[in-house]
Amino acid sequence: MISLIIILLTSLFFMGIVVRTKSIASGRKGPGIFQPMYDIFRLFKKGTVYSKTTSFIFKLAPTAYLASVLMAILMVPHGNSPGLISFNGDFVMFAYTLAFGKFLLIISALDTGSSFEGMGASREALYSMLVEPALFILMGSFALFTGQTSFQGIFSLLHFGSDISYLLGALATAVFVMMAMIENSRMPFDDPKTHLELTMVHEVMILDNSGFDLGLIQYTTHLKFAMYGALIANLFIGQLPLTFSIPLFFVIQVLFAIAVGIIESFRARFRMGHNPQYIFILSSVALLLFFGILLITGKFF
Amino acid sequence: MEKLLIELFNLLTLATILSFPFFKIKGKGIISLIAISSQVVLASIVAFSVFLNGPINFSYPGSWVTGVIPMRMDYLSAWFMLVISFTFLTGSWYGFQYMKKYKDQTANLTMHAVALMFAYTTLIDLCIVQNGFVMLVVWEIMALSSFIIVIFEHYKKETLKAGINYLIQSHVGILFLTIAFMWVKIKTGSFDFQAITDFTVSQPAIGGIGLFLCFFVGFGIKAGFVPFHTWLPKAHPAAPAHVSGIMSGVIIKIGIYGILRMLLLIKTDMTVIGYFIVAISVITGIYGVMLAIVQHNFKKLLAYHSIENIGIIGIGIGLGCLGVGFGNQIMTICGFGGALLHTLNHSLFKSLLFYSSGNVYQATHTMDIEKLGGLIKKMPHTSYLFLLGALAICGLPPFNGFVSEFFVYSGLFQALSSDKVVPILFLLFAIIGLSLIGGLALICFTKVFGVVFLGTPRDKQIEVQVPEKSMSYIPLYFVGLMIVLIGVVPFLLAPFLIETIQLYLPSLNFSGYQHLVLMMENLTSIGWYSLGFIALTAALYGLRHLVVSSRKMQEDNTWSCGYIGDTDKMQYTASSFVRSYRKLMEPFLLIRKEKVEASGLYPKAIDQVTHPGDKVEKWLIDKPLTFIRGLLNRFAFLQNGKIQFYILYGIIFIGLVLLLPVIIHQISVWILFLNQL
Amino acid sequence: MIDILLITLTMSLLYMSIANRLATYLRILVMQGLILFGTTFLTLTDLNTLNLLLIMLETLGFKAIAVPWFMNYIIKKNHITRETEPYLPNFISLLIVTVILVSAIILSSFIEEEFLDKTFFVVAFSTIFSGLYLIVSRKKIITHVIGYIVIENGVFVLSLAVGNEMPMLVNLGIMLDIFATVLILGIFFNKIGDVIKDPDVNLLSNLKDN
Repeated sequence: MISLIIILLTSLFFMGIVVRTKSIASGRKGPGIFQPMYDIFRLFKKGTVYSKTTSFIFKLAPTAYLASVLMAILMVPHGNSPGLISFNGDFVMFAYTLAFGKFLLIISALDTGSSFEGMGASREALYSMLVEPALFILMGSFALFTGQTSFQGIFSLLHFGSDISYLLGALATAVFVMMAMIENSRMPFDDPKTHLELTMVHEVMILDNSGFDLGLIQYTTHLKFAMYGALIANLFIGQLPLTFSIPLFFVIQVLFAIAVGIIESFRARFRMGHNPQYIFILSSVALLLFFGILLITGKFF
Repeated sequence: MEKLLIELFNLLTLATILSFPFFKIKGKGIISLIAISSQVVLASIVAFSVFLNGPINFSYPGSWVTGVIPMRMDYLSAWFMLVISFTFLTGSWYGFQYMKKYKDQTANLTMHAVALMFAYTTLIDLCIVQNGFVMLVVWEIMALSSFIIVIFEHYKKETLKAGINYLIQSHVGILFLTIAFMWVKIKTGSFDFQAITDFTVSQPAIGGIGLFLCFFVGFGIKAGFVPFHTWLPKAHPAAPAHVSGIMSGVIIKIGIYGILRMLLLIKTDMTVIGYFIVAISVITGIYGVMLAIVQHNFKKLLAYHSIENIGIIGIGIGLGCLGVGFGNQIMTICGFGGALLHTLNHSLFKSLLFYSSGNVYQATHTMDIEKLGGLIKKMPHTSYLFLLGALAICGLPPFNGFVSEFFVYSGLFQALSSDKVVPILFLLFAIIGLSLIGGLALICFTKVFGVVFLGTPRDKQIEVQVPEKSMSYIPLYFVGLMIVLIGVVPFLLAPFLIETIQLYLPSLNFSGYQHLVLMMENLTSIGWYSLGFIALTAALYGLRHLVVSSRKMQEDNTWSCGYIGDTDKMQYTASSFVRSYRKLMEPFLLIRKEKVEASGLYPKAIDQVTHPGDKVEKWLIDKPLTFIRGLLNRFAFLQNGKIQFYILYGIIFIGLVLLLPVIIHQISVWILFLNQL
Repeated sequence: MIDILLITLTMSLLYMSIANRLATYLRILVMQGLILFGTTFLTLTDLNTLNLLLIMLETLGFKAIAVPWFMNYIIKKNHITRETEPYLPNFISLLIVTVILVSAIILSSFIEEEFLDKTFFVVAFSTIFSGLYLIVSRKKIITHVIGYIVIENGVFVLSLAVGNEMPMLVNLGIMLDIFATVLILGIFFNKIGDVIKDPDVNLLSNLKDN
């Protein structure tokens, strides 16, 4: 229950910090931290325009996307206290529930019958396919390390003792950050600000959504970022009591948001044709992590 | 009592076929439908009684050729009987409606109905028979009857070619099975399946592994493991839709049944077998879905997906074998449980997808997805049912595909806590394979659903015949209901599954039983969470509906960044959707591209067509065949058509037969003579 | 700490397989030199000071500073274009290097030797084979030299693996190899670079006898 509340709280200001960091990095003052939420509320009040080509799927998809991310958040634990849903192997359900949302969003993009959305849908499908193994290898390495197979079991037993485990923790954090950037289609894989053909992955899938639906989709992006931030925070919280872990959680989320802003400001976008290898390198690094954990647990000698 | 039911079951087929001459074509259809339905009822009664009361054994005294013919129905047989019966029920009801438009071809239809009934009867009998010789006979009848139901449209050359390809490959499989059964008979003198167990127990491990490999190749050709899969993508598109559904849902599964049965009987080093099965299955799964993505023929795409799902089932079976080999009961439970459950699930959603494709074909008369589009507005029932099947086949919650894939995943992750490095790496390989399969399946089905049902029609000349006839989607709803049920309340199946899994755990200790119960609880909780997910989505949608309907809502053209051109032509086609994927995987795929470049200042209409081929087929079958044909062509002079030459060949043969013993005797005399020197 | 450095070395290999520019390759070579410097400092604690100084001079001086600087000079002087020109697409290169890494892990699990620290073996094996792969899959001559230096790094790691008894001979051999390569290539480039402008290996085949 706790993790749900603090993730929802984080989603309110996460994007605001990202935008603020980007503005400060480019020398401007930037909007307030809650500005993105105000934008979403403004969208909620607007009316909608539906295309004649679309069908019920187009109307269902944003809601189903939000539902899938909410369902996934219910599985994320906070250190010692499990999420509302916790059982052995729940990270498999986590990954596949997110995939359900993606599936519906991709077909709603194809529903509009326009080439722009189709382009975004095709790229989104490919990139999410390439990033799937990374999550599974990562969770497999942690399962190997702790001997547990549920999110809560793994994160509560995760601790960093030796030097090499700090490196692996840093590597795992880096992989999670990159995965968050890919899944939310931020730089350096995709530029959410340009609407040119060459750079569109996620932004272009939602070109035809308007009003309440668009607000839902944008809020879901915030939620997803907060969710990945919660996963990263879990790497460090371990068994701390609540009085320490909640402030630590917020600190890590803020740091994550600032890091996202800095990465976005200082990295150029990758060439679109090169994206697959940069995404797949996450899986290779995760394999390396697996090897490292094999080293630590002594199974290798 | 069950013996009586099984005999009644078989007699019903014969009785129906014998009564065919007395009816006209419509009557024949109704009679065969009633017969199959009653057979389904009989088979289900027997299967349920096995689950309730325990295994049933009886036997027939055979002749001196076959020995005693035991018929044993244990939990494995009962599970497969239920799977087969359900799909045949929906298949025959759907087929009845599908075949109505062919009702002029009375002889063809009668043959088809006869073959269908034979196929069903022999499939159920195969689950029960435990005598090698009789099993081979029944398998042969099954292969022949499935060949006949595939080539229904034999006046088309492509169909006939595909059917003959299927027939030849089935018989290669039967050859391997015959070798394996004869091996056991020669060594032990009995055709009984029990003899296989006795034989392998007394052998060193390598003998058992060799025997298992023979069986695996024979059953694997039927199931469609790579590299034995090349008949599948040809046979499924050639067959009528209900037959494709039945084949994909059931007839390939009998290969899986054979493998599972042999795993129960052969006692040898299970670890080696486990590694082998996992390796082949991961390759099968990934290869199947990689090729499925680039196909343009609707049914061929679905056929390649069957190959992928057989790979997933194989991963489960391999995991179970590894568990038996290592003595790790969690692995065994999750592996075999996942495989058995996925068998059922796959037969459900694959048959649903094939029936939907049959509806699309009936409405549009084309199987080329590049020409379709926007069918959701004209065929809503089929479209939403297809969406259900597509979500289920990608293994997405809240449907049944996720439950069985989760089962296999749990086994893989829990087994990571073993001690040796090599199993851990192998399991990691299986995990990576399974996750890649899931991701690739997502690409494939978003492409299919998006291109066929959404957007606008890509070829304006395709006429869609509406409305949909009700009988074309009522069986589909039935299957869809089962899909949702298994996804949401899998504990309904738990007792059946537990009994069947326990067959593989001869010495189930307490902790093993605890794990079994824990896994079932996990599955149950997944079911409730899936239900919660559906409820959450419905609630959010209701909320949205309230908000949106209270605000302004209008309809307009697709905005797409302000571009209003000829949007039908500008839509993404299936090839363009998978283009970036295709460029990445080019070394593994065999794509022949026909491209016309734009030239000059005012170019004419240009197009670009891609033809997907199959690299395994090219290297394993086409090239050797071409080579053999070239070799044999050099001997073509022997067949010159003149009858005198053929009589001459006969004279030479008789002369050789008479002279050869004399010559050999002479040679041995000379050798003896030379030895004495 | 040693394991951390070695894992970072392996990550640099992965990055090398997808890099597009020659400058990135040189930066990775510098990083590998620095990593090897740190590794020798931490591993070889039993050697006498002179030997240690020699080794540290070699790794820091040659691998991290001199050779990359020299390469840079050659690239600037001959106006070699910035692109590494691979035969296979970068995605396949990444897959192949990952496969090399995994096979190294599997292979080393079959070794039952107690005196061998397996991490060193895995890293050395993957570095050597990745260096070989770099040579095979790129068109330019300069990438051949870079691949050769990566192989040298791998051999160096392997020699660290057999403990503190690293004989001077291996050390001097490594230095000699570096000398030989860079010198020959430098002469080669400076003399021939004036005549043939394109440092492309395929043109070398024009020097065939017939």
